[in-house]
Amino acid sequence: MGSMKGRILVVDDDVALAEMIGIVLRSEGFEPLFCAHGDDALEAFRSGQPDLVLLDLMLPGKDGTEICRLIRGESGVPIVMLTAKSDTVDIVLGLESGADDYISKPFKPKELMARVRARLRRTDESTPEHLTIGDLEIDVTGHRVTRDGAMIPLTPLEFDLLVALARKPWQVFTREVLLERVWGYRHAADTRLVNVHVQRLRSKIEHDPEHPEIVQTVRGVGYKAGTEAP
Amino acid sequence: MPSGRSSAPWARAGRAVRRAWRRVVSALALVVHRWRSSLQLRVVTTAMLIGLVALTVLGAYLSNWIRDGLYNQRIDQLVADASQSTQQARERFDASINSTGQDREALFREVIGRLQVGGAGTRDVFLLRSPGQVIAPPVSEQGTAFELSGLIPSQLRHLVQASPQQIHRVPVAIERSEGDGVDPGVVIGSAVTIGGVQYELYFLYNLAPEQQTLSFMQRVLALAAVGLMVMLGAMTWLVTRQAVQPVRIAAKVAERLADGHLAERMTVRGEDEMATLARSFNEMAQSLQVQIRRMEELSRLQRRFVSDVSHELRTPLTTIRIAAEVLHAARADLDPAAARSAELLTGQLDRFEALLADLLEMSRFDAGAVMLDAERQDVRDVVITAVDQATALASRRGVWLDVELPDRAAVADIDPRRVERILRNLLVNAIEHSDGNSVQIRVASDKRAAAITVRDHGIGMTPEEAERVFDRFWRADLARARSTGGTGLGLAISIEDARLHGGWLQVWARPGRGASFRLTLPRRAGITLTDSPLPLVPPDIDTVDAPVEVPVQGAADPAAIPDLDRLEAR
Repeated sequence: MGSMKGRILVVDDDVALAEMIGIVLRSEGFEPLFCAHGDDALEAFRSGQPDLVLLDLMLPGKDGTEICRLIRGESGVPIVMLTAKSDTVDIVLGLESGADDYISKPFKPKELMARVRARLRRTDESTPEHLTIGDLEIDVTGHRVTRDGAMIPLTPLEFDLLVALARKPWQVFTREVLLERVWGYRHAADTRLVNVHVQRLRSKIEHDPEHPEIVQTVRGVGYKAGTEAP
Repeated sequence: MPSGRSSAPWARAGRAVRRAWRRVVSALALVVHRWRSSLQLRVVTTAMLIGLVALTVLGAYLSNWIRDGLYNQRIDQLVADASQSTQQARERFDASINSTGQDREALFREVIGRLQVGGAGTRDVFLLRSPGQVIAPPVSEQGTAFELSGLIPSQLRHLVQASPQQIHRVPVAIERSEGDGVDPGVVIGSAVTIGGVQYELYFLYNLAPEQQTLSFMQRVLALAAVGLMVMLGAMTWLVTRQAVQPVRIAAKVAERLADGHLAERMTVRGEDEMATLARSFNEMAQSLQVQIRRMEELSRLQRRFVSDVSHELRTPLTTIRIAAEVLHAARADLDPAAARSAELLTGQLDRFEALLADLLEMSRFDAGAVMLDAERQDVRDVVITAVDQATALASRRGVWLDVELPDRAAVADIDPRRVERILRNLLVNAIEHSDGNSVQIRVASDKRAAAITVRDHGIGMTPEEAERVFDRFWRADLARARSTGGTGLGLAISIEDARLHGGWLQVWARPGRGASFRLTLPRRAGITLTDSPLPLVPPDIDTVDAPVEVPVQGAADPAAIPDLDRLEAR
């Protein structure tokens, strides 16, 4: 397999499952780190500096959503939730506290790897690309979004979402298309992923998130990027 | 066209009559409705009717009794008065027996004048000569109001002439001087003899004062009766109100309870039966509330349990699943027995997962923890998706899928995930049981509903089997079922999904003729299905003539014919 593709922190109190996930990750060339207790998760994240976090929602000590919020407080590293609950409330709570994606137990190793790869995928574009949307400047290659020279911190997923919309302003994207472009889902998936992350993105880039001007909702269809009329 | 012209007024009249009749009928219906719906009205009406009858009988009796009493007493008094006066007259006449013509005239006048004022009350006095007596000199007949002498009935005169010594009386009607009616009166008469000549002496008494007294008494009685009736009505109304009011309140509170306001209670006042009613009612409401709370708690616990079981099972299952996949991926390096084991493990894990998922879904239905995630969608799209998914299985089994969609969109408020699941179940079932024959899928819609039928031409089922097809874990053919897989919960979940939509999932089947499943969904929430746009029995089956192929013992048994009504009712 050669060199390590990346470090992945697996936060799960079920030791057997964590080990099994570790075996799969290792066989795919990733380096797994483990943490079995909610209270240790943030420490493990800080010391391990992982490229991605697989996070079980039900944990002893701090629960998944809280850890999610704590990690988001200091990093935009991709977080994929592992959830055994089909209760939709938990999933929405997890997404709202900052998780990028989720995967429901029981899952197959292929599904897990597809989700991990989609979140770690980075297109290595050689040509510098600059986009302007409203009063925002987007440096696509440099992964920077600025307004009047001030940088706006976005997670990689939020950045991808904004770039996908900004590359074709005025084109309306359905939630399904965005799921494919940004999350890498080939089949229909949970469109709430899009809704929750559009809300999070708006809260960071809009002047007034209640009346969005940059990411606009097209009722019954989806979203589009709108240039702010000054 | 005289007939045409003349028919118009008749028709108009007929219409008017019919209209009037309808009005009468509807008014009657209203009264009947009021009568049936109000206990108070019934009780008050009944009490007043009984009171009216009782008062009428009593009043009539009393009035008669008073009249007779008044009249008889007065008559006795008048007879005594008249006989006394007659006696006085006789004495006076006897004393002046020798008076002659002129004197007699004066005597008569004097006697009559004295008699008129001498008795009890006003009376008129007449002195008439009995017929058939020739005397000289003739003395004229006299009276205080001679014009009234015509009132003396000849019948009385005959009586007086027949027995001169006795006092006779007869009631008469006296015309009023104003001419506006008659007053009751009585004529009392007897004979007097003056100088051998027989005269008849009559007294006419006017009974108008007595009549007035009687009328007054009757008026008072009637007034009293009306007053009594009013009092009776008011009394019964008040009394029934007291009795009915708590019942009305109880009914209102019961309605509120039925609407889900479980904390609703009656106010308990006093110690009487009504208070007991209120107390018992409140106890019932209390125990209902407790029961419902308990059921809610149970339902909540069950949901919680399902959720917990789900979580507890899913985590180890994920580990097993990943381990199996890892082993399966590495099976080339394993010895044949281990490699086959890895394959079996992976395959059976799929079944296990499907079964777990179905079980959890079923228990969510049982706990009432499912919600319809409805959106407006073209049913045709859902059918196409489901058919696409079933194509792989169909081609493996060599089954032709024949789909017939309408040209018009069949838009309905549906939960596409659930409808797709129902269709997937129906399609997989049909493909598995069609024995390589084609499977037909039909879609149709009307104003109220959209319907989909899935028909196979396989071995079919007996009606008894068809009735059980939606039962959990029921399998028509145990030997086949094991090889085809499936959880045995597919149709049980499907019918719950259909019910969640307010729709129907029905089956028609006959041995050797295949089976047909029909899903009917209301197009909007709140529509109650009464009919389906598609027939349940396939059009190629003639329900009357088609020979029913059933086992030997059922050949002549009418029960072998599918009981469509019962299936419809499912």
